[in-house]
Amino acid sequence: MRWYTVGVTAVVLAFWAGCRSTEQPSSDGVRLFGVSFQTMNNPFFVELNEGLKGVIEARGGRLITLDAQWNSLKQKNDVADLLQQNPSAVFINPVNWEGIKGSLLEARRKNVPVIIVDAPVSEPDLVLCQVASDNFEAGRLACESLAKANPRAKIVILHLSVNRACIDRVEGFKAEMAKHPGLKVLDIQEGKGSTEGARPVMRDLLGRFPELDAVFPINDPSALGAISAIEAAGRIGQVTVVTVDGSREGALAIQAGKLHATVAQFPREIGRIAGEKAYDHLEGKPVEKDIKVPVKLITKENVHEILNASKK
Amino acid sequence: MRNAEHGNRTSKGTLALSGWRQLIATLVSAAQGLLPLLLAIAVLLVLFSLWVPQGRFLRFDNLIDLAQQVSVNAILAFGLTLVILIGGIDLSVGAVVAVAGVVSVSLLTPAGPVVAFLGGIGIGALFGLFNGLFAARTLMPPFIITLATMLVARGFALGFNESRPLPVGEEQHLFLSLGNARWWGWLPMPVILMLVVFVFSTILLHGTRFGQHLFAIGGNREAARLAGIAIATHEVLVYVFCGACAGLAGMIHASQLYSAEPAAGQGYELSAIAAVVLGGTSFSGGVGSVPGTLVGAIIIGILDKGLNQAGVHFSLQYIVKGGVILAAVWYDVFRRRVKSRQA
Repeated sequence: MRWYTVGVTAVVLAFWAGCRSTEQPSSDGVRLFGVSFQTMNNPFFVELNEGLKGVIEARGGRLITLDAQWNSLKQKNDVADLLQQNPSAVFINPVNWEGIKGSLLEARRKNVPVIIVDAPVSEPDLVLCQVASDNFEAGRLACESLAKANPRAKIVILHLSVNRACIDRVEGFKAEMAKHPGLKVLDIQEGKGSTEGARPVMRDLLGRFPELDAVFPINDPSALGAISAIEAAGRIGQVTVVTVDGSREGALAIQAGKLHATVAQFPREIGRIAGEKAYDHLEGKPVEKDIKVPVKLITKENVHEILNASKK
Repeated sequence: MRNAEHGNRTSKGTLALSGWRQLIATLVSAAQGLLPLLLAIAVLLVLFSLWVPQGRFLRFDNLIDLAQQVSVNAILAFGLTLVILIGGIDLSVGAVVAVAGVVSVSLLTPAGPVVAFLGGIGIGALFGLFNGLFAARTLMPPFIITLATMLVARGFALGFNESRPLPVGEEQHLFLSLGNARWWGWLPMPVILMLVVFVFSTILLHGTRFGQHLFAIGGNREAARLAGIAIATHEVLVYVFCGACAGLAGMIHASQLYSAEPAAGQGYELSAIAAVVLGGTSFSGGVGSVPGTLVGAIIIGILDKGLNQAGVHFSLQYIVKGGVILAAVWYDVFRRRVKSRQA
């Protein structure tokens, strides 16, 4: 088969070309960076990516963005693909804070610095630094604002318990709860951190607990899912929803009176800081291990700040 | 690939090897059927070697990485090849990956690595047995049976450790080596396991009477029954094998990630089915080969890796992969029709 011979010849030639080009110096002057997100189906990560990309491209670098689609093994493979290209640094937003360890070890073997963004990992020694919102504080603020609105709230929590950032938010929430004895948690369920994941779970909880009058979904997308379930059950206005994120969608829900409060994170800021820390490290400057980006409570009073900021 | 004709020969024993000569003849004819797919691999390799900056794609360690990344999907796909070949389907393999992971990891500390390994394979085989018995003994379509098993298995996995990932202890060297060890410093353990399953299922399907019977069952179930083949036994064994493959894949998955995730493996059944179908196995049964599936899994792996490294936007990656699968299967169907007209 002549086609086949042509194919084999082409592959041999390509191999030869591949081997030759590795003899050249490893870089054409452009610094390559890579980032792997747990999902891009969330405006938070889209904005974080833009912040990161802004810093890197302003300094003439190139950023490859990859979406792990909540799949830890895909994330491991994605990171391996990035590491093969001799990047100057890799940014990881881990799906599973235990499961990322293999990738961190591989990066260390290849001497590529890793910066963790948004969700912390269980092995901080293996990374250059971690840049994240102050999630404990975010959970605490959410609880405080709920206690002010409804001091005797019967609460359900829609968790995403594989994610360290969400664990911290729930811990902050519970720590603040200790100061408000009137508050009571009826149940903690997995809301999957997404609108489509949270909706059916919330619908079931509303059916199960007639006395339920507050919910803490751990992020804006799951809050929107919970709100849609509350609307479908005809109980809007009776259930207080507080959450963490501060996305434009969340702000619009506050304006519409469906969401009581969201604690704003600043993803663009997280991305910008992470990018600058990478360059600091490459220029030989020391970098702090644990960088917490402040958060801010958003309610009806100051919601215009978020809406104005997201317009530009 | 084109070896449905072997299925027509009836024979007495089941698992007796039908001869090396026949195995080789079958494999040679399979390799000829695979030429277009091998050519597609060649084209993709050339494409990505030019596209990925500085010719990094065709480097040795990148290709070793590729083999490692393909291994979990390929192992799932080998088991599924046999199931699809007899006209069945198994949607539960992705959920079984999660169950096998949590079962084996939770057995590690109390019972040791050997029991954990057997437990992981065993729980996979058990779900397979369940699927197989229902498929063989009832009139329910396998699509529905395994859809139900998928949900049951997922719930079972989520029931462990409050749905949180279960970390594998630092001291579990043997279990961690399943996913992370490199023989002679370069050959990853998952690749070796993939090759072992590959050789085993190739011989099983293309070199034994048992395999011939599977082709017969997939080609024409009624005729196979009249020829005296014990269909139920074959069907149950095929599903058990598929479940055991998913069990092994689940342990490799857990080992690679240093933890068992109850939510792992969602959608893996679809990638595995894509590999099987790309490799030329017919969804209506009776036609297919294990080497074809390996090639199908490699093509998907090359696409994933190449598009990632070329920096293609992830939204475009989905579209390209969907397009390639559609084109490959369309071409396969087209070629088969031309062939049957010539015959």
